Amino acid sequence: MIPDLLAALRSRFGNDIVEPETTRDETPTFWTPQGKVLDLLIYLKTGLSQPFSMMYDLTAHDMRAYKKDLNGHSRFDFQLVYHLFSFERNAFLRLKVGLEGEYPSHPTATHIWPSLNWYEREVYDMFGIRFEGHPRLRRILMPSNWEGHPLRKEHPARATEMGPFRLWDEKQDAEQKALQFDPAEWGLQTQSEDSDFLFLNIGPQHPGTHGVLRVILQLDGEEIVDAIPEIGFHHRGAEKMGERQSWHTYIPYTDRIDYLGGVMNNLAYLLAVEKLAGITVPPRAQTIRVMLCELFRIASHLVWYGTFAQDVGQLSPVFYMFTDREKVFSIVEAITGGRMHPNWFRIGGVAQDLPAGWDGLVRQFIEYFPRKLKEYDKMVMRNSIFKARTKGIGIFTLQEAIEWGVTGPGLRACGLEWDMRKKRPYSGYENFDFEVPVASHGDCYDRAVVRVEEMRQSLRIIDQCLKNMPEGPYKSSHPLTTPPIKKHTMQDIETLINHFLNVSWGPVIPPGEAMSCIEATKGWNGYYLLSDGNTSPYRVRVRAPSFAHMQMLPYISRGYTVADLLSILGAMDFVLADVDR
Amino acid sequence: MNLAFNIAAVIAIVCTVMVVTRYNIMHALLYLVTSFMAVAVIFFTYGAPFIAALELIVYAGAIMVLMVFVIMMLNLGGGSAAQEKQWLSLRVWVFPAILSLILLGELIWLIYSEQYIGSEQIKVVDTKEVAVALYGPYVVAVELSAMLLMAGIVGAYHLGRQRKKIVHRFLERSNP
Amino acid sequence: METAINPWWIIGGVLFAVLNTAAGLIWVERRMLALWQDRYGPNRAGPFGLLIVLADSIKMFFKEDWIPPFADRLVFVFAPAIVVATVLMSFTIIPVAPGVVVADFNIGLLLFLAFSSLGAYSIMLGGWASNNKYALLGAMRGAAQMITYEVFMGLSLMGVVLLSGSFNLTDIVLAQQDGWFIVPQFIGFFIFLVAGLAETHRLPFDIPESESELVAGFHTEYSGMKFGMFFIGEYMGVTLISALVTTLYFGGWLGPDFLPPIFWFLAKTFAFICLFILLRASLPRPRYDQLVEYGWKFLLPLALVNLLVTGAIRLMQ
Repeated sequence: MIPDLLAALRSRFGNDIVEPETTRDETPTFWTPQGKVLDLLIYLKTGLSQPFSMMYDLTAHDMRAYKKDLNGHSRFDFQLVYHLFSFERNAFLRLKVGLEGEYPSHPTATHIWPSLNWYEREVYDMFGIRFEGHPRLRRILMPSNWEGHPLRKEHPARATEMGPFRLWDEKQDAEQKALQFDPAEWGLQTQSEDSDFLFLNIGPQHPGTHGVLRVILQLDGEEIVDAIPEIGFHHRGAEKMGERQSWHTYIPYTDRIDYLGGVMNNLAYLLAVEKLAGITVPPRAQTIRVMLCELFRIASHLVWYGTFAQDVGQLSPVFYMFTDREKVFSIVEAITGGRMHPNWFRIGGVAQDLPAGWDGLVRQFIEYFPRKLKEYDKMVMRNSIFKARTKGIGIFTLQEAIEWGVTGPGLRACGLEWDMRKKRPYSGYENFDFEVPVASHGDCYDRAVVRVEEMRQSLRIIDQCLKNMPEGPYKSSHPLTTPPIKKHTMQDIETLINHFLNVSWGPVIPPGEAMSCIEATKGWNGYYLLSDGNTSPYRVRVRAPSFAHMQMLPYISRGYTVADLLSILGAMDFVLADVDR
Repeated sequence: MNLAFNIAAVIAIVCTVMVVTRYNIMHALLYLVTSFMAVAVIFFTYGAPFIAALELIVYAGAIMVLMVFVIMMLNLGGGSAAQEKQWLSLRVWVFPAILSLILLGELIWLIYSEQYIGSEQIKVVDTKEVAVALYGPYVVAVELSAMLLMAGIVGAYHLGRQRKKIVHRFLERSNP
Repeated sequence: METAINPWWIIGGVLFAVLNTAAGLIWVERRMLALWQDRYGPNRAGPFGLLIVLADSIKMFFKEDWIPPFADRLVFVFAPAIVVATVLMSFTIIPVAPGVVVADFNIGLLLFLAFSSLGAYSIMLGGWASNNKYALLGAMRGAAQMITYEVFMGLSLMGVVLLSGSFNLTDIVLAQQDGWFIVPQFIGFFIFLVAGLAETHRLPFDIPESESELVAGFHTEYSGMKFGMFFIGEYMGVTLISALVTTLYFGGWLGPDFLPPIFWFLAKTFAFICLFILLRASLPRPRYDQLVEYGWKFLLPLALVNLLVTGAIRLMQ
């Protein structure tokens, strides 16, 4: 496929415009000069017979401190990386553009993919790369009066590098002022021909936003004219932190990206690390991982289920569902010792083998849970008021979904049967028998239908894990497995030193880049890692599904009422930590 | 002349004066509601409990609620209060006020004079009698006013109907 | 009907009972919700957590009674009083037992309608005076909801009035000696119950508050005892509607002789209070326009048909 594509592109644009690169994760990767990238993107989206219709991710690397050989390519100061996805080809495409200069600029591609709007803002915010022609290029994750661009290598990564923090009165006033909303700044009208618009500030503290999200609504009466989601209140710099944590010690940070997904985040990160290191995970470890991931999918969907019902005013379901989530957690606790953030997967496997008696717990849950799901169907999904509040609300079509980078249940609710576990199996999902639930209308109700059915399918997968748990080691015998296997040490000084270094410094992952993409609870979650052969990553990119979904909010909420906004937010199933990272 | 009447009458008068003199339109409306309630008490003391209840339900309850509702949405700030203040100059209000005072004096004189019926002569008109009167001798008037109201409702609906300005993006495309 | 008891005793008794019921509902509602939601609810203070009522009241009395500087002071203070006053006034017409009624008006039912329509002011003024966008939106929703539901609340009651031939609640109860009005007036009962829910703006009709959208709706800016008044006003409203449903459709104090009439009245009222709480525990909240539409397009015609049919049957008899 890569040679075909390369030939097609080269015949159209010329040989020196498209330069292939081989990467460790074997994602087709092309370099292109800055001047041609827009043409290339348009061609990839519309010109090909099997187009790359989804802009999966856009990010950048600050390459000024990268000291290793770049696979034969010349080094630029910065490189922009577009990740495209084609459903027809079932393939990712990585497009790299090199940029020179201290604060380079680059033409915007927001007119090709509307979803690039936030991604370009994020790159600007994090790297200071300006996008010429961007409709509203301003900071997105950092406060608007932040100094510097955090993911540049010269930006401090630790509080101790920045001097003590003080909040003078003047500073506080300035910060407060920076939070003031000015409609003109966003190009919003303050009145229509016969009425004034009401600007309603929802959040960052609001019972309906599930966290620190701020949405500014432009209202005509109760009807939404426009909405401006303001994010970044939950930004913790997870990507920056990755650059100073060792490959191993970064795992607990991933737990907290999508804090409802638990070990699912570990998996996304570790798949990328293992690709870089070339580790094959033994089947038992893979199956354990799958089982825990599916347990967490159920836990996450239960939280969504309950809070969604609460968003439309139903008080009780959330209590039942949290009770059931507690049951899931008791299994997770018995196996991992942790609950929400077990931090339990390791490079090359998992932290421990399954405890004795785990199968009893899981079996009990599998027997217990379907009955409850049926009860919830009756209570929530078949409730006519619930239907009235969610059917026909927040619709997007399949084409719109792809355009905006919607993934996961939101995409499947539009009728596309696309589940990464089926289409691009990882961690042994190809061995499991399950169905991919789809719905057809793409409204809030259908998103709920898909998620509810997904819980049943997860249960099926867990059942298969229970029945067919393979024997064998729970972590790989690869030398980079962390923590290293003890029995390999104590043979000679070399093995001892290796073990000692691997434990104290952490593993040294060979240079290169790798990307993973898993079907997480909320959509496609991926880690894109760049290693310069050190004990910590050179760059960690977290592609979180909620970010793309949140970006779509103004588009899909226009013309609905304030009450519908809560249905839309509820059905979106976002986690602010996942949006802001 | 009973005490309840006197108190209610004084409240009604004071509130009505307040309605005229308040600059803040919301406060003025509240005084108006209070004066309606005072009038309802007067009706009650004089043997018309049905009308008293209607005064509360229809005037104080329904019509004034609508007025308040509208005023609330107009978002009248300090500017309108200042404008009211400007309009309410001495020249404007002194003459109507004198006329109203004369009428008030007349009313008081009438009430306390001998011609006026005392409370012992009050006959309580209950709901049934009102209904019999309405659907007996006055049935034509009732029907006419019903028709007028119907026309009013249809007219209000027609005038109030407006095209939705903020439409969903699917609808935008179908009728530009 | 002649009252043998000193009217001051009745007034005092009703006032005492209503205020205590409303306060007690704090505990009842929380325990009931907890029961239906698989959790404990308040169970620490006192036996069965009963002292939560005391703790809650103390908390509300001692909270800072804050009036926002941007609010309209006078109206802001005045608004919570309206809801309590109007609901309390409505209790005057309810016969608790034979002869035990504060005011035996011949227009009793109309008085209730009058006071319930005045109650709308407390939401509107509270929301407006707070000078807060959430409160204003809540107040507007509240006003639209109350206006809509008042129309056919009145109409739904007329069936009962037609059957009993009186607006007097004592007469209405006595007219049910041969059979409760729930049977011939089931539609009326249903409409009145829905309208009553809307009047007390309890879930599923709590759109003036709608916690997940408007934070706390019209009382967003209220705290301390002013909030407490809204809070207690809501519980008193629940009690009032339950008492009215009992009186109008379930024969009031009527019941087998082995227990005193007042017991039957209280038991039926309590059952309806529980129904209110159960509804709150189980139903989601419709959207504001759906609610208004449901009122105008479904319940209003239904109420009119009910009235027409009842009238026709009454004429034929």
